[in-house]
Amino acid sequence: MGSRYLARKIVQAILTIVFIVLLNFVLFRMMPGSPDRVLARNLPDAARAELRERWGLDQPLIPDQLVAYIGAIARGDLGSSYKFSNTPVTEVIGDRIWPTLILFGLGELIAIVVGLGLGAYSGWRRGGPVDYVGNGFSLILYSMPYFVIGMILLIVFATTLGWFPTSGMFSLGHRFDSPVEQIADFAWHLFLPLMTVAIGLIGQYSILMRSSIIDTLTEDYVTTAKAKGLTDGRVLRSHALPNARLPAVTLIAINLGYVIAGAITVEVVFGWPGIGTLTVTALNARDYPVLQGIFLLLSISVVIANLAADLIYGYLDPRVRT
Amino acid sequence: MTSTPLSDRELRAERWRLRIRGWSDFAGRFGRRRDGVIGVGVLVLFTMLALFPNLIVGPLQTATTAPGQPLQPPSLEFPLGTDDLGRSMLNLTVHGARISMVIGLLATVVTVLLGAVIGIVSGYLGGRTDTFLMRITDFFLVLPTFVLALILAPIILELVGSDAEIMGIPSTLVVIIVVIGVTSWASTARIIRSQALSVKERMFIARARVIGGGGGHIMWRHIMPNVLNLIVANTVLVFAGAILTETTLSFIGLGDPLLPSWGVILNSAQTSGAPGLGAWWFFVPPATCIVLVVLAFTLVGGALDDVLNPRMRARR
Repeated sequence: MGSRYLARKIVQAILTIVFIVLLNFVLFRMMPGSPDRVLARNLPDAARAELRERWGLDQPLIPDQLVAYIGAIARGDLGSSYKFSNTPVTEVIGDRIWPTLILFGLGELIAIVVGLGLGAYSGWRRGGPVDYVGNGFSLILYSMPYFVIGMILLIVFATTLGWFPTSGMFSLGHRFDSPVEQIADFAWHLFLPLMTVAIGLIGQYSILMRSSIIDTLTEDYVTTAKAKGLTDGRVLRSHALPNARLPAVTLIAINLGYVIAGAITVEVVFGWPGIGTLTVTALNARDYPVLQGIFLLLSISVVIANLAADLIYGYLDPRVRT
Repeated sequence: MTSTPLSDRELRAERWRLRIRGWSDFAGRFGRRRDGVIGVGVLVLFTMLALFPNLIVGPLQTATTAPGQPLQPPSLEFPLGTDDLGRSMLNLTVHGARISMVIGLLATVVTVLLGAVIGIVSGYLGGRTDTFLMRITDFFLVLPTFVLALILAPIILELVGSDAEIMGIPSTLVVIIVVIGVTSWASTARIIRSQALSVKERMFIARARVIGGGGGHIMWRHIMPNVLNLIVANTVLVFAGAILTETTLSFIGLGDPLLPSWGVILNSAQTSGAPGLGAWWFFVPPATCIVLVVLAFTLVGGALDDVLNPRMRARR
């Protein structure tokens, strides 16, 4: 891969992250008066003055506070939670990352395989029965907030049929005899939220892949391939698909920002102890340090995912590597 | 060969004739798109609900005027059941249409205004202004704007106070509207800019400049009308997005409980544990409305895009 392309993308990503950190600084200082008025609302004046000093709020905003803030972030110090009795923010968030990563990593994986496959087939057999039904379903799913899908699955499969638990990640107060049993319990709790995420994403990905394939099919090289007498499947696999994949890669990365919104709500519906439920808890308690930490974590993850998509794109499509 | 110049009156009449022909042309082409027409039908229905909720179901019920028992399933008296406070779900859902659609509409106006102005200015002026504005746009495109909205909303609410009113609208709504607008203009700006870039190169812009037209005049009278098609199609899609964002923000608790939009109703369904209690009627009505409205906007937006921007048809 061209090192110029690589370097440019990496510099862009770093610049974006710097912007995000600055934005975070500004947001935190935008609060009425200063953070201590919100965070230490109920403390006596003396204690507040002490806090102000400890947080460096008596220093001038620029450069002292900014430098201190960037220094703290570089050390991985995001401050202490307001709600969770002064636990460091990094610890509060760190505990919640794995559940979210598993739920969304697996959900994305299922959605990419099924959604892209469905979309490619629908576009290939445009107007056929699979396209007709699939496209209709995809459009409806596309218009449906994730949490609504979650609520429907929950009421049908957990409340009414009782096949799955209604909330949580493990059965409470249960002693597991073996790790296998624990994993089984985990999978049982994971199933419905996972299906919600996957179903929500499949609609988007299949619409995206469908239009991408339809665009590709009008290209000259596909006509050439057909004229050469290649079989239908061969034209699709070796000529149409590799090119239709490209926009899909970019759009999946761009979509990630929206997926996060869905992530938060799905976790709330199923009481899944991840970043999403943490966000809502922090929001209701107006726990700004934790909210800021979550914003930092999520936006940097999205930037990195976009960088990864750019690099994959560069690898798949030699034309952009200049 | 000389042609007599048209009088002012004839000129005006000719302009109207062209305009009316344009409109009927457009109506004819749009009418052939079945999905677009169905979408418009659904939207007209919901606009009626939003305009006249009191005529249809009476005034909005509150905790004190709730006529029924909590969580009653659908019956003859309450065709859609009751919520956790004993209010009729039919009443709530119809009034929710008004609140959701108004927030969606105003948020769309803010989004499209921001996006169109930034897109046109950036595309027309070019150079450093363009680079600068597009940097910001790209930044907002990458950012998970929903998370930004979610942090901004409570901060701004603390700044203005939650009981305040801004231009007669409760500040809780204004904050949601502004936050949606500020976080979702970027893709509109991108689309408008790329069109403005190509319009700028057309001959009539150079002519306008030669006869002394200023930047503001050219952007407003010459660029804007030529990107209007894109703005219109984009507006419809932005509306769908705004309703979804409002629903999600309200669902996680940023809505105003006194102004129950569909998202706020879904939030109270969730917090009162309706899905776990089997009270499907608590969330199915508002959820169905959201899906119908968003789907209708998406269909209309797609059809408009096809009819208004035929050159970009290859895109879909």
